[in-house]
Amino acid sequence: MIPPTTARAPNGSPRDPRDALVVSERLRALHEEVLHAPRRLCAERARLVTRYFRAADAHPGKPMITKKGEALAYVLRNKRVAIHPRELLVGTFTSHRVGGGLFPELHGLMMLEDLGRFRTRSTNPIEVSREEARALRREVFPYWLTRFLVLRAMPFPQAVRFSLDQLAPTFYLINEGAGVSHFVPNYRALLERGTEAFRREAEARRAVAPPDSDTAAFWGAVEEVCRALEAFAAAYRGRALELAAVEPSPERRRELHEIAAVCERVPKHPAATFREGLQSILFAQIALNLESLDNSVSPGRLDQILWPLYRNDLATGRLDRARAFELLGCFAVKLSELVPVFSRRITRFHGGMFNGQVVVVGGTDERGDDATNELSHLFVALMDRLRTRQPNYHARLHEGSPPEFRAEVAEVLARGSASPALYNDEIVVPNLVARGIAPADARDYANVGCVEPVAAGKSFLSTDAALFNLPLCFELALNRGRRFGHWRRVGADTPPAERCASSDELFVLFLAQLRRAVTRLLREIRAIERANARFHPTPLTSMLVEGCLEAGRDATWGGARYNGSGIQGVGAGEVGDGFAAIEEVVFRRKAATLAEVVAACRRNFSGDDALRARLRNAPKYGNDDRAADGFVARVMEAFAQTLAGHTNARGGEYAAGFYSVTAHQAFGALVGALPSGRSKGRPFASGISPASGMDRKGPTAMLQSVASLPLRVAKNGANLNLMLPPWTLSGGEGPARLQALVAGGFRAGVMQLQVNVIDRDLLIEARDHPGRHPGLLVRVSGYSAYFDDLSPEMKQELIERTCAPLGT
Amino acid sequence: MRPPDSATIFDVQRFSLHDGPGIRTTVFFKGCPLRCAWCQNPESLGPHPEMAFFADRCRDTRACAAACPRDAVSARGDRIRRDRCDACGACEPACPHRALERVGREVPLDALLAEILRDRSFYESSGGGVTLSGGEPTFQMSAMGALAQRCRSEGVPVLLQTCGAFRFDAFAPHLRSFDRIFFDLKLMDPERHRRFTRADNPVILENARLLTASGAPVTFRMPIVPGITDDLDNLSAAAAFLREIGASSLHLLRYHRMGEAKLARLGYPLAPLAMGAGDVGRAVARAAALLAECGIEVAV
Ligand code: SF4
Ligand code: SF4
Repeated sequence: MIPPTTARAPNGSPRDPRDALVVSERLRALHEEVLHAPRRLCAERARLVTRYFRAADAHPGKPMITKKGEALAYVLRNKRVAIHPRELLVGTFTSHRVGGGLFPELHGLMMLEDLGRFRTRSTNPIEVSREEARALRREVFPYWLTRFLVLRAMPFPQAVRFSLDQLAPTFYLINEGAGVSHFVPNYRALLERGTEAFRREAEARRAVAPPDSDTAAFWGAVEEVCRALEAFAAAYRGRALELAAVEPSPERRRELHEIAAVCERVPKHPAATFREGLQSILFAQIALNLESLDNSVSPGRLDQILWPLYRNDLATGRLDRARAFELLGCFAVKLSELVPVFSRRITRFHGGMFNGQVVVVGGTDERGDDATNELSHLFVALMDRLRTRQPNYHARLHEGSPPEFRAEVAEVLARGSASPALYNDEIVVPNLVARGIAPADARDYANVGCVEPVAAGKSFLSTDAALFNLPLCFELALNRGRRFGHWRRVGADTPPAERCASSDELFVLFLAQLRRAVTRLLREIRAIERANARFHPTPLTSMLVEGCLEAGRDATWGGARYNGSGIQGVGAGEVGDGFAAIEEVVFRRKAATLAEVVAACRRNFSGDDALRARLRNAPKYGNDDRAADGFVARVMEAFAQTLAGHTNARGGEYAAGFYSVTAHQAFGALVGALPSGRSKGRPFASGISPASGMDRKGPTAMLQSVASLPLRVAKNGANLNLMLPPWTLSGGEGPARLQALVAGGFRAGVMQLQVNVIDRDLLIEARDHPGRHPGLLVRVSGYSAYFDDLSPEMKQELIERTCAPLGT
Repeated sequence: MRPPDSATIFDVQRFSLHDGPGIRTTVFFKGCPLRCAWCQNPESLGPHPEMAFFADRCRDTRACAAACPRDAVSARGDRIRRDRCDACGACEPACPHRALERVGREVPLDALLAEILRDRSFYESSGGGVTLSGGEPTFQMSAMGALAQRCRSEGVPVLLQTCGAFRFDAFAPHLRSFDRIFFDLKLMDPERHRRFTRADNPVILENARLLTASGAPVTFRMPIVPGITDDLDNLSAAAAFLREIGASSLHLLRYHRMGEAKLARLGYPLAPLAMGAGDVGRAVARAAALLAECGIEVAV
């Protein structure tokens, strides 16, 4: 049975001590409102930023960092202030209840083509008021048309070519053209110090710096954004008092006074209570999402960061567990009020209305001792009972994780909650250390966006810098640098694949194509990095990344303690399966020649049923078959190797990641038939998961396959979907079985996995009747999304991915 | 005698959840001395490899006919002419659609052990292990013993599923390799036992007695096949027998009809038993109540 998919029924077992933690009336109402509120495009930020920059053009000498600080300050000071009924934590990301902004100075222009159809499109419709659309068309876009980031990054013709290419990316999608974002802010420092202390520090440093220097300008910008954040909180205090003055209910009046009191203290001062901590983080979270791209600003290890405040409040009797639970729930609902506004094109790559605000629970402290605490448990209960779109919850597990915590997580997952995704510290931490991160910082890692691990609060790793289409390089290798059916050569002019006498020889051709495409990618991305440094510095982000404030260097200038960029190889499994099939069918069994295989791919297997069946029946990745798994491993190594040794504009390395967001679908749609037997246009597998339905030996064999991969090269993370049919976890033993499956997989060396216990029939029903299951949260690819928010193709893929019972 | 270095196996199933505790790998041995009318694994019966034909996968390419050296492939129906086929397997790789499968292969014990050990981390995390099943593992007594012993010395818990039809003196040396033995009783009346399984039961019952007396960790099980094993006489006789040999519990197995599709694949003459799922459920509940009355602890 599938449990209720919204939080309507708290469904713990009766003996469960956590049963004290119920979803309060308030929480349920807030969640329902946000779940059902229309998603709206908000033009407020775009208009304010544009207004600021138009005016700033009168002062041409002003450094960009100063302008960026002032622009954010202008937004924060002029933004609409709204407190909704019943709220305990306040502050809105946009001017609407649920919405998202546009970033005209970055990639916002790419959304222009959808402005007229946001409302009517079938996937992720977004309401746009006529007034806001007009403002965007008249005030905003004309100004930025000649000033947006990519245009400033490259010479004009190249920028035009690049922009057009990125509208329909084939080789890769460079996300960094939309700013960097993607980091874990140092919220620990924010709560310990407050913005006032940061401001004072910046002031003191600026006082001794050369007046016209970049560093002085940077510190000045930090001071400016701190003051604006304080003003932002003050505006909320004022609003709360106004509302209290006219509030008839004495209870709500008291609450509004509490809100005012909290807003008076934070974020300016150190947080003295649990609630102040959450409110301070929320204000900063809002401001950060307004500063750079509103994506993947990840709050990180909130169970650790809030722990001292929580413990203290409990001891003094200011707080009890039920109240803490409610506050955490309010926080989760708040994060869910933000949705990304993407055009249809971008949605194909980043589907599911997802912003990647990761909250991590569990794991170790900096010394490696277990740090799971009662807040970790509260969060796990929350994931189960209040299935919000955001945050993206992750749980860290290590050898010393308490058995109760493991059991609790397994129980929640076995009940059908899509969260949390699970991380194996024993693999992740050494990977980070291998990347040059100090062991203590590595042990304090948190994840960004989908799955990317970083040293929390100290890193600026642009983890989602680009997504790369690996199988396209395979297609080009088979066809001398041309896509099947295309005349124009877009890849390297490699010798005919038909002449290869072994799969090793063919691999050399693949490598040549890969190198050429990666070289081009790196050239373009470096131009974007330099443009980000010049035109899109982010003083508030920098203040919350250790290293920048001391050095007086913005994070986009390389001021962070740890720098880097993450580039995702999409479709490694597809390429590996193709090589495995060629090895088996062509070179081992000699059932067909390589020329026949290539010709069949070119024809998209039309009339080649038997050959296609042979290719599909060849050994595949995901069955603990060392030969097939070995090819996937080679592809991963090759990709990581190709990136290695290059340095980005911020002085960090390019790290390979193997997660795919929804790009495995978008890229798959562009690639011709391949030797794995996959036909033209079909999606690849998500991340490092095996191809749909091809893991025929069950989950243990699949996990062993994954564990056999060189996950050490997946420094920027990888995602694996473990889809289990409900029968495997049914009955009283279900949770224990899942726990064993995870523990066994992690012991074998799996780095990360997300479990989706989904009943295929339910998905089919949800597909056929949109709206019938609005709260059905599913795991897409490193994150969760409501099923209704997925594109038809993604829905279909998810249904196919849900494997049939074993042994059939 | 040197222990054998291979066994005839018809399947190895990983992530097996219903053959003992935890996550297990189940090794299915080929060959069985019994011919139960309700057999769920007909491909396990014969001691030698045989060809299975999956009619639903076949796309009529005739590649198999071209590959067969004995002209044993017919154009229609079952496709394989059992009287000519010697299960050489030449047609299996020839078929692009995997419609022909050689059931049963000689697997070196080294390879078998290696495959079993692949999931060691899951046995450890779940309290699982390996289950030797079949067919009848004791039908290949020394290979079974050698495999069990090697798993055991690798620290993998071993569970045996047996029909009990073996020579006790041949079995006794392997006794200590098993963490648990699932021992299946079927029919207590010798005549009916012979009729429905084509084998005698005195040796089975004697083995049950000897195993219990030896203190081996035995769990007795009985398949509930409506109309065959679930009558009052059989159940009360089973209860009496168990009490007599000093065993107190019986694990009831639900009969599944899964085997019937397989029968066709292999061209077996065993007649399908016509019954609905509801019948089985009711029969199991009734049997459980009855046995409980006779003082037997029942698990389902
Ligand atoms: S080769 Fe396979 S698909 Fe072709 S006729 Fe024989 S069994 Fe059928
Ligand atoms: S197994 Fe051998 S003899 Fe039997 S049908 Fe196939 S090829 Fe012919």
